[in-house]
Amino acid sequence: MEKMKNNDTLHKSARHVLLVMLAVLPAAVSAGPSGQAMAFTCAGCHGTDGSSVGPSMPAIAGMDPEVFVDAMKAYRQDERNSSIMNRIAKAYTDEQLKEMGWFFASQRLQLFPQQYDATLAARGAELHEEYCEKCHENGGRPGDAGTLAGQWMPYLHYTMEDFLDGNRKWPRKMKRKVDAAIEEAGDDAIPALVNFYGSQR
Amino acid sequence: MPSRIETKRVACLWVALLGLMITSAATAVTPEPVDGTAQPAGELMIDNFDPETGKRIIPNERCLTCHGDEEHRTDVRDDGSPVEIFVHSEQIEASVHGSQKCTSCHVTIDRVPHRKAPSVIVGCIECHRETWKEHKDDPDGKHERLEVVNEQIASYMQSVHARPNELDQSRTNATCYDCHAGHNVGELGSIQRAEHRLQNPEICGHCHEKELEDYRTSDHGKAVMEERDSEAAVCSDCHTTHEIASPETDKAKLQITKNCGDCHQEAQRTYFKSYHGQVHRLGYTDAAKCHDCHGGHLVKSEDDPTSEIHASNRLQNCRNCHEDANENFLSFWPHGDAHDRENYPGLWAFRVFMEILVFAVMAFFWVHVLLWLYRELMDRIQGKGFVEDLSQPDVVYFRRFPLVWRWIHFLFAIATMTLILTGTTLLFSHTAWAKAVVEFLGGIRMEGIIHRTAAVIWLGIFFTHLAIATTNIWRKRKTFEWFGSTSLVPNMKDFRDLRDMFKWFLGRGPRPQFSQWTYWQKFDYWAPFWGATVIGLSGLILFMPDKTSLILPGWTFNIANLVHAEEALLAAIFLNSVHFFNVHFRPERFPMSTAIFTGVIPIDEFKHDHRLQYERLLETGELEKHLVHRPSRRLSLAASFITTVLIMAGLTLLTLVLFGLVTLPS
Amino acid sequence: MTDMKRRTFIRATAGAVALGTLGIPGLVLGASRRVVVVGGGVGGCTAAKYLRKLDPSLAVTLIESKPAYTSCFMSNEVLSGDRTLQSLTFGYDGLRRHGVEVVQGTAVGIDPEKKQVQTAAGDTFGYDACVVSPGVGFKWDAIEGYDEKVANALVPHAWYAGPQTQLLRRQIESMPEGGHVIIAAPPNPFKCPPGPYERASQIAMYCKHHKPRAKVTILDAKDAFSKQGLYMEGWRKLYGYGTEDSMIQWISAAAGGAIEELDPSTRTLVGLVEDFQGDVVNIIPPQKAGAIAFAADLVDGDWCPVDKRTFESSRHKGIYVLGDASSAAAMPKSAYAANSQAKVAAAAIVARFQGKEPDDPTFVNTCYSIVGEAFGISVAAVYGFDSHTNTITPIPGSGGVSPANASPEIRKREVSYAHSWFKNVINDMME
Repeated sequence: MEKMKNNDTLHKSARHVLLVMLAVLPAAVSAGPSGQAMAFTCAGCHGTDGSSVGPSMPAIAGMDPEVFVDAMKAYRQDERNSSIMNRIAKAYTDEQLKEMGWFFASQRLQLFPQQYDATLAARGAELHEEYCEKCHENGGRPGDAGTLAGQWMPYLHYTMEDFLDGNRKWPRKMKRKVDAAIEEAGDDAIPALVNFYGSQR
Repeated sequence: MPSRIETKRVACLWVALLGLMITSAATAVTPEPVDGTAQPAGELMIDNFDPETGKRIIPNERCLTCHGDEEHRTDVRDDGSPVEIFVHSEQIEASVHGSQKCTSCHVTIDRVPHRKAPSVIVGCIECHRETWKEHKDDPDGKHERLEVVNEQIASYMQSVHARPNELDQSRTNATCYDCHAGHNVGELGSIQRAEHRLQNPEICGHCHEKELEDYRTSDHGKAVMEERDSEAAVCSDCHTTHEIASPETDKAKLQITKNCGDCHQEAQRTYFKSYHGQVHRLGYTDAAKCHDCHGGHLVKSEDDPTSEIHASNRLQNCRNCHEDANENFLSFWPHGDAHDRENYPGLWAFRVFMEILVFAVMAFFWVHVLLWLYRELMDRIQGKGFVEDLSQPDVVYFRRFPLVWRWIHFLFAIATMTLILTGTTLLFSHTAWAKAVVEFLGGIRMEGIIHRTAAVIWLGIFFTHLAIATTNIWRKRKTFEWFGSTSLVPNMKDFRDLRDMFKWFLGRGPRPQFSQWTYWQKFDYWAPFWGATVIGLSGLILFMPDKTSLILPGWTFNIANLVHAEEALLAAIFLNSVHFFNVHFRPERFPMSTAIFTGVIPIDEFKHDHRLQYERLLETGELEKHLVHRPSRRLSLAASFITTVLIMAGLTLLTLVLFGLVTLPS
Repeated sequence: MTDMKRRTFIRATAGAVALGTLGIPGLVLGASRRVVVVGGGVGGCTAAKYLRKLDPSLAVTLIESKPAYTSCFMSNEVLSGDRTLQSLTFGYDGLRRHGVEVVQGTAVGIDPEKKQVQTAAGDTFGYDACVVSPGVGFKWDAIEGYDEKVANALVPHAWYAGPQTQLLRRQIESMPEGGHVIIAAPPNPFKCPPGPYERASQIAMYCKHHKPRAKVTILDAKDAFSKQGLYMEGWRKLYGYGTEDSMIQWISAAAGGAIEELDPSTRTLVGLVEDFQGDVVNIIPPQKAGAIAFAADLVDGDWCPVDKRTFESSRHKGIYVLGDASSAAAMPKSAYAANSQAKVAAAAIVARFQGKEPDDPTFVNTCYSIVGEAFGISVAAVYGFDSHTNTITPIPGSGGVSPANASPEIRKREVSYAHSWFKNVINDMME
């Protein structure tokens, strides 16, 4: 009898464990859309899997996932000058942004040739090396400081305009560096840098 | 409730399905190229993340982009203040942490470039503990050194450095990387370690500013900081690296002195020979330690006029402890070395003399003992020698010693043993028993009091005996025969007896017949006269150094210390071995003679050992006067008990002394 | 009682395992799965491309009657002369590179039992899943006097980009200075809700430079329209809207904008209140699902009802109806919506082939309109799916139109975004 009772208790606790697991599992397998499904909806503006072919839309394939999440959160909180992304970003939870970030980080960036001014690009290369390379390493290749190399030039222009016009918060130390670059190269600084990045393959 | 269960069932089904379909799901997530156009090669951004933890992998090269740029060694903080950011990558790579990632230690760094001002939070202890735990059983032994590191951690955790800072309790007084150049921890014997040693004073000096100022002017400081001699003493050599007890504690003081000897071995050896050093070695800080005389951080050569041991400063230095010290103190040799003939010829001569004396006496008597033992054993095997006559158990006894001598011998024995015990603790301060005895007695100061008290009693007994003996002789001055059979004054017969004894030992003659006092008994009697003189005089000199120095030069302390010890050693060994054998342990007497406490011996025994006197007394008819009844049972038992205790005590002392001698550090 | 539950649980688990095991042959058989896509517009193309992308083992066939695709979006720029029709036309080679078999033909029927699609040429195409994305058809009987023949020759609708677009452009160009352009906008629901108003804007932009005294009148069958506030802001800024001299005039249904009849010979539109005569008339007729949807019995009324999770037809299993023809309620009939729906349907088809239930869907719509030089506006929405009501609902707090009175810089950027958007949509659907 005593033994029976013990068995029963054991079963009861095992059952409790199971029940807890079952209660948690549905949340874990989430009926919500997958990161891939959400990322697919971006393609109309940012190109299939994030490799944009539209010069005003930044390529987001192969983007650093944390930079992606940072950007989306900034849009969500209306901290970044935008025409449309702020309206879209508000639809996603932190977790969903992370999943989308992982999707784009798992894609290979396809770059498309752009028209650029070779003289400006050469000047930009020097400026980049002097003022930008430490954060935007390897000529601005995708990384924790975003994707500059091969990025669409009109988009880069818009971004720099926003920084310089005070419409976008400077990342730590960036203003100092950009100011120094402008100090050195004057009005050519930003076009030179943009042409340099646009010249990258 | 049932519907909830139902939901869970469905969910469960889902999980099972998903599990089985996982492969197809994988294909769905990463479609392969569908046509001939090759995907551009290159890294995928997800490769920068640890698939298990999802955390960003930050290669060291990425950190060194900024932190390894020699041209831009400083940066500005968000508040505009400058900050040194340069890190020697070659140094790190060559250090023990060369294979670590920057982020292994800088765990708060998760983004590069840093999104906000990074907080430097590095936990060394946890990692070193964990790594050791993980690898301590590895056969390759690559992590062996971590055992030491973990010991150091344990020491550090107990140290004042690990305690919360009084001004800012959120941090400790000092932490690992305050002292260890975090990026440049070298392996044992590496250049980094030598460099780290040279930086040690500066590092400690960040907080201990005053001490650094002092140290800078010292010989150690000059050698390290000016001549870049990494062998010279740095802070941690004296203060230890991790334990760092407060210098006020005995433990630290002892440790510091011990640490001086790591380099100054000769000085420490001679120091430990001195009274100062012996006290120190017993674990007491009462006597002078290295830094008491040489100064701690200010240690300088004696040629330096600002040195504490410079001739003009030395007396003041002595007066720190010996308040009444006078000029005579200056001729004391604190590091006097009796083995150094060149510098201390007087001391050397005394040592040689005393050692010859000790060796000669002991050699002679131990040979005497061994041969005697051999002879008596041989005799007994052959059925010869003295055998107690059991048919006459109630034989009369012969009175050898009146009551006063018996008391004098008892007190003398007690005082001597006390002196041996308390004195040899200093002589053998290196032994554990010495430390235990001193502690048991109540410390070095109490021991000094006991030793001096016993010495006064000892001398008192000696002089009392002298007075009684002189009075006795004076009373009998008319009839006293200075070289007669009852006199203790050695005579020619003693030398003949000695010769005949050796003949007997070797089986070449009969056992000589003795009068009232045998020659060895006379030696036992006269030896203390010599001892009392040597030990007494030297002891008096050492009794109150401040007072003695009023009349005697300082070097007499060195001499007195030496002869006092050597003579005491001689007495201790002689009494507890040779004397014990002659009186108690030779087979005829074994296990003991209680005569000195009962005052009587059986007439048979007297007849055997003092045949000539017996016959003379018989002849003169004086024998009757000396015959007494057998001592009472109580007296016999008491005498046996006291004798046993004293013998045991003596043998114990002998053991301790011999142990001390054998283990004496060279 | 407790035992009972345990047994139930065990049975459930066993069932799951069995089902999982059954799913595996599905995986193996996946190699021979066939999907037929009817319609080479945004929905069809995107579905075909993403089906192959999600499961390269699928055999995907796209049936389209035209040899090349001409996008309706951006075709208003043809009317202003900013763009040629050629720049909107794209061949199907991109899809072929993705492994899609593109068949030129007209689907005339679908047999949901035999799982076959019939073409006008008499061919049949068997399928395991069929995607139908036919776009809209026109209700030719809605406006008296207006039919396909009239539209092709005299009064173009130009609501499919093509010859009628060019016809309309020519009519505008040859219109006398001070001429009058009339655009009759259809009632809801119709394809490209902001389209008629962007069309009016683009024509006005052209006239502003070339025929400054010309007028553009929109006769609307509705009382409100998409991005109305932003359009009017733009019209005020660029075309004097709200003044006597306004180049653009909008007449709502309530104000008599609804049209009942056309006299093609005089280009006169007969309304309920008054008649309107124009030099150039563009009638955008009321709309319904494309012809094949009716032929295949996929409609309920004018449009095709679907399961919003997968866009599978509510009327016939195995057929997925996308884009303008489907009734997706909250979602507008736009290119972006069709693109988004196509991916959901493609993922659902692939999931089902693999024996899995599709994930909850997610949708986005983004639409740019170019009101004039350096004046772009947009609307965006993100949609979620409510499994309880099987509806698509905008995610609260998200979406909406461009801010009113935004800076000129933002308005200018939205024009460039519109052009980039165009490139990316085309790229995503068929390149």
